[in-house]
Amino acid sequence: MKKQKLLSASHRKGGDKISPPDIVILGIGNMLLSDEGVGVHVANKLMGIDLPKGVSVVEGGTDGFRLLNVITHADRLIVVDAIKGGAAPGSIYRFNINEVKNCPSVFKTSVHQIGILEVIKVSGLIGKTPRTTVIGIEPKSIEMGMELSPEIRENIPRIIKLILDELKVTSDK
Amino acid sequence: MAKKITIDPITRIEGHLKIEVEVENGKVTNAWSSGTMARGFEALLTGKDPRDASYVTSRFCGVCYSVHQLASARALDDAFGAKVPWGGDLIRNLVMGAEYIYDHLIHFYQLSVLDYIDIMAIANYKGNDKDLLAVKDKIVGLVDVKDTFPLTPRYKPDEFSVNDPEIVTMAVKHYIDGLKMNAKARNMGAIWGGRTPHYQNIVVGGVTSYPDVNQVARFRNMLDEQKKFVEEVYIPDVLAFGTGPLWKLAELGFGGGHYNYLSYGDFQRDEGGRDLVFPSGVIIGLDPSNIKVNSVDTDKITESVKFSWYRENNPVHPYNGEQLFDLDKKDAYSFVKAPRYNGIPLEVGPLARMLVSKNPALIDLIKKGAKPGAVARHAARAIETKLIVDACYGWLDELLTEMTKPGFKIHDTEHWNPPEIGMGAGFHEAPRGALGHWVKVKNKKIENYQAVVPSTWNASPRCENGTRGQYEESLIGVPVPDPDNPINIVRVIRSFDPCLACAVHLIDPQTNKIKKFLIE
Repeated sequence: MKKQKLLSASHRKGGDKISPPDIVILGIGNMLLSDEGVGVHVANKLMGIDLPKGVSVVEGGTDGFRLLNVITHADRLIVVDAIKGGAAPGSIYRFNINEVKNCPSVFKTSVHQIGILEVIKVSGLIGKTPRTTVIGIEPKSIEMGMELSPEIRENIPRIIKLILDELKVTSDK
Repeated sequence: MAKKITIDPITRIEGHLKIEVEVENGKVTNAWSSGTMARGFEALLTGKDPRDASYVTSRFCGVCYSVHQLASARALDDAFGAKVPWGGDLIRNLVMGAEYIYDHLIHFYQLSVLDYIDIMAIANYKGNDKDLLAVKDKIVGLVDVKDTFPLTPRYKPDEFSVNDPEIVTMAVKHYIDGLKMNAKARNMGAIWGGRTPHYQNIVVGGVTSYPDVNQVARFRNMLDEQKKFVEEVYIPDVLAFGTGPLWKLAELGFGGGHYNYLSYGDFQRDEGGRDLVFPSGVIIGLDPSNIKVNSVDTDKITESVKFSWYRENNPVHPYNGEQLFDLDKKDAYSFVKAPRYNGIPLEVGPLARMLVSKNPALIDLIKKGAKPGAVARHAARAIETKLIVDACYGWLDELLTEMTKPGFKIHDTEHWNPPEIGMGAGFHEAPRGALGHWVKVKNKKIENYQAVVPSTWNASPRCENGTRGQYEESLIGVPVPDPDNPINIVRVIRSFDPCLACAVHLIDPQTNKIKKFLIE
């Protein structure tokens, strides 16, 4: 397996506490299912890049509920995940979470009954819900495997640029 | 005529599970449990450096990653001949201790409570407790804007549902408090694991980073807060429900199953491992008044694929297990294999552990008339959470003592390199139950790898002789007065804390609306 940079930026800042102003880029997915893990690959890439102060990168795996501690600490959340929307592989989607009202009925996570969008909603029950933007990438393959498809891999620089642009956006549009 | 009910998926669990039952005269007469997602990640490991296994296996599942990391490291410890120093074991235990608190709280409050209360009773809360009124306002507000996730969807409340407004409002308050405690417990593991999720510190031979006194103090502070919640909220809630409104359900003992149990044994309190928080043992055909516990012989474990979508094969020991799918196989109905012990299906998890250890609090409940079924499982889970919390204090003290010793070690560095050839087994009592990993090493690479996870034991399909798995058997006789509202089935299944999440989670919109968010 390739050596990867595994420590999150939040860790580098000193342990388990994420300090303000708390912009969190959260890459999620299962890296054992090829393109399903694109969010994880992007997060690992971002950890090697100098990011503005206050931005941390979290590689969330497929943790669902267990990401609450990350989500509730964020003021601004950028989720990077595979999204199956039917467009060509490698296509990129972008939306703010408030654009998809009642997300659990519109968006269904295929396996986890408690998916990431639901968890973000739940965070409102115990405090704030961060302003959330989802950057989604249409997968080509979600077969078992630890490599991304070429179509997806080639698009990673573009995804990263979009995320960096996202950091400059100061309010929902 | 038997009526067939299919529940697909069972909601508010981790992963994807389908349950089919036949109901005759208001009771379940037959049942099939089906894991509908392909597993078999083990195949990815063949040919890899064995030391990668603890990392790759921790990605099997987004929910129980640390347990795989540990079981895998232990399998490698065994194969490499590594001897983990006491300091390393203490830190491993503390990481897992935090996992227990976290997992069990989430199972009770976030996943289970809603099966037992009529949440709409909140609207009738007439008291003047400030906190409870705030909960009432919050929930009623959500209902008003028709935005009640995650408290819905739900099954219709039935005769066993608690509808006392005060109790229900308190339960929902604790649901919310529990969420806060979850988020905090997550950070406890990160103290040792370096990050969360997917801790980094557990490897073959021990752990990777030396502890300092600040970490011990931080963990202890956070543990104090969890202990308070466990003792003052969680356990009283489980007792209040179990021996109060749900006592009838406890006495009826829905969801008993085969009454066979397994615990591999885990969590040593002392350096030699003579004193385990969870002793090891097998119980076949439980007699609650005279519990007989046999020692565990893991050579007796086999996995049957007779009714699973795997290539036809005789039941084999996990060392020889394979991951070759056959999706057209006649009679197959699950991606889950069927583990058996001496050919017998076993239940794993908190109830198994508390029965094997003859825990006095659980035995006391059983003596009072609770049968080992769904309600007893919730009780066992609460009881063992407290055992683990208390043990964590002991481990912290031990760790502080160890740290002052000259030559304090957390890792067996002598055995870091893979052997030319070897095999090893690693066992862990994960929150959901007995977990085993088996590895064969050849030419310093993984030749074969196999994990038998807790939900495989519990959710298994039938085996060679047609004997049902534990979920299936536990559903026989469960009352389903209204086929459109199979709430008792869900209660029974959920009491096991199913986790079949070892798979995909991607966002999968049901409508084409997503296209409008495409970036050109």
